Amino acid sequence: MMQTAVAPNALPEKISIKNLKFFYGENLALKSINLPLYEKKVTAFIGPSGCGKSTLLRVLNRMYDLYPKQHAEGEVLFDGGNILAPGQDLNLLRARIGMVFQKPTPFPMSIYDNIAFGIRLYENLSRSEMDERVEAALTRGALWNEVKDKLNSSGLSLSGGQQQRLCIARSIAVRPEVVLFDEPCSALDPISTSKIEELIDELTADYTIAIVTHNMQQAARVSDYTAFMYLGELIEFDETSKIFTAPGDKRTQDYITGRFG
Amino acid sequence: MVDAVMTGLRSTGVDSSKLKRMSRLRSGDILFNWVTFAAALMVLVLLGGVIISLIHGSIPAFQTFGLGFLTTQSWNPVTEKFGALAPIYGTVVTSIIALVIAVPVGIGIAIFLTELCPPWLKRPIGVAIELLAGIPSIIYGIWGLFVFAPFFQTTIQPFLIGLFGDVPGLSSVFAGPPYGIGVMTAGIILAIMVLPFITSITRDVFDTVPPVLKEATYGLGCTTAEVVTKVVLPYSRVGVIGGIMLGLGRALGETMAVTFVIGNAHKISASILAPGTTISASIANEFTEAVGDLYTSSLIALGLILFVITFIVLAAARIMLARMNAKAGN
Repeated sequence: MMQTAVAPNALPEKISIKNLKFFYGENLALKSINLPLYEKKVTAFIGPSGCGKSTLLRVLNRMYDLYPKQHAEGEVLFDGGNILAPGQDLNLLRARIGMVFQKPTPFPMSIYDNIAFGIRLYENLSRSEMDERVEAALTRGALWNEVKDKLNSSGLSLSGGQQQRLCIARSIAVRPEVVLFDEPCSALDPISTSKIEELIDELTADYTIAIVTHNMQQAARVSDYTAFMYLGELIEFDETSKIFTAPGDKRTQDYITGRFG
Repeated sequence: MVDAVMTGLRSTGVDSSKLKRMSRLRSGDILFNWVTFAAALMVLVLLGGVIISLIHGSIPAFQTFGLGFLTTQSWNPVTEKFGALAPIYGTVVTSIIALVIAVPVGIGIAIFLTELCPPWLKRPIGVAIELLAGIPSIIYGIWGLFVFAPFFQTTIQPFLIGLFGDVPGLSSVFAGPPYGIGVMTAGIILAIMVLPFITSITRDVFDTVPPVLKEATYGLGCTTAEVVTKVVLPYSRVGVIGGIMLGLGRALGETMAVTFVIGNAHKISASILAPGTTISASIANEFTEAVGDLYTSSLIALGLILFVITFIVLAAARIMLARMNAKAGN
């Protein structure tokens, strides 16, 4: 079943997923996944609903830990350390691996505080340093020009697309190494979507990115590598250009040409 | 108008039995509207009736004592000199004590239940809270009088008196002797009684916080304490304050349990360990022995004051919520 292609060019692996199994109670949702996430590359997870791609993403920052009945087996090496090992500092892990969700999740506070909130958790900055960091993050999130005059209004007052960029800015404000995107554009209009895609493109200069998407064009546009998953298995993983032009597996081909899923 | 519409419809060829059925449904709908409207109107009529009868009943007291009724401490049925200050003071102070204890504990329980509790413990605690809410107040009363007050008298009260005895300011608040019963005892019993309300409402509104919002907060690397204080509480503040106000409403009006343990003394003491009284306790205690119009009227006037206090609390809660919402920008 496994067709994990060995990358010809030995890129550094930021995260290496090895024999990962994931359980919702008794249900096996991920069946022995092996997958690398290369440093400063975008890896897209595609596949029909319920194939386990979001589940896989939620393993990477151990978000599943919030729910007592879910557990993972295997290894996920992050810079060589197994993040599934007991005794992990989850707060530190999540600071290093940020996440952006399907729906925008601005906190019930001002735009400024939405960004400053995460920074304050880890750093003690003076007001002017904080101002700079907030501006830098919002600029990075391609939102600064739209909100610079209303930093004190509620994050909830922004449009959906702006809220999502605020959430991206918030994630990168704490300077993570990896950013996980869980269908970040599924609730957004096409213009906001293209803005966020551009943003993801720019972020690869500094971050390792994993993105779950239902939109195949989006995967083709933003990612360097693509993993196709089906029924909890990784069917194929390769460079995005190969997956979309010459997929090695019949199921991958059927999916990307729209024959199922 | 209806005829015109019907003719119009008839001309387009809708059969008459269908039209008849439609018109019957329409008259049923009108009836339905009126019935629900009458039910809603009944609330206004009842409320108005209660207010009017309270005002009417308290006229003799206010005619005799004027606004001095609100600021006079003496309550003497023999000389027919009545003042409401002591019951008002007792009502407010016992409720404050109750909230000071019950709000942090209640919110703490709710946080534990929604964020930290292992699943197997969730149900037992949840059921226990509901049972606590279901205990009739008379049981709190006798338990408070026969079990809690003696315990309080022999252990906690001497401890408090000793602890604060040398602290300027607090020494008079916690001045002895330890009676067992008193304002603070009543406040603690009230705290136990309002705790389930505050807990269950707070828990329910905490459950309405979208999981993805919590995940986003955890996703930044926040601890549970940070998630709760920075996101869960601000997000659900309206509901939490609603729960606290409901608890306060209950504390202000609670009668039976308070009557048992407060000591029923019409006086204001600096010490919260001393006996006192509340509005509802005074009314419940004295209605049967109220001879003479002025005595009865004074008790009804107490009822009116309680009504007004409750109203002010509700209004203050609304204003507070409006301010908080304006500040949060939505």
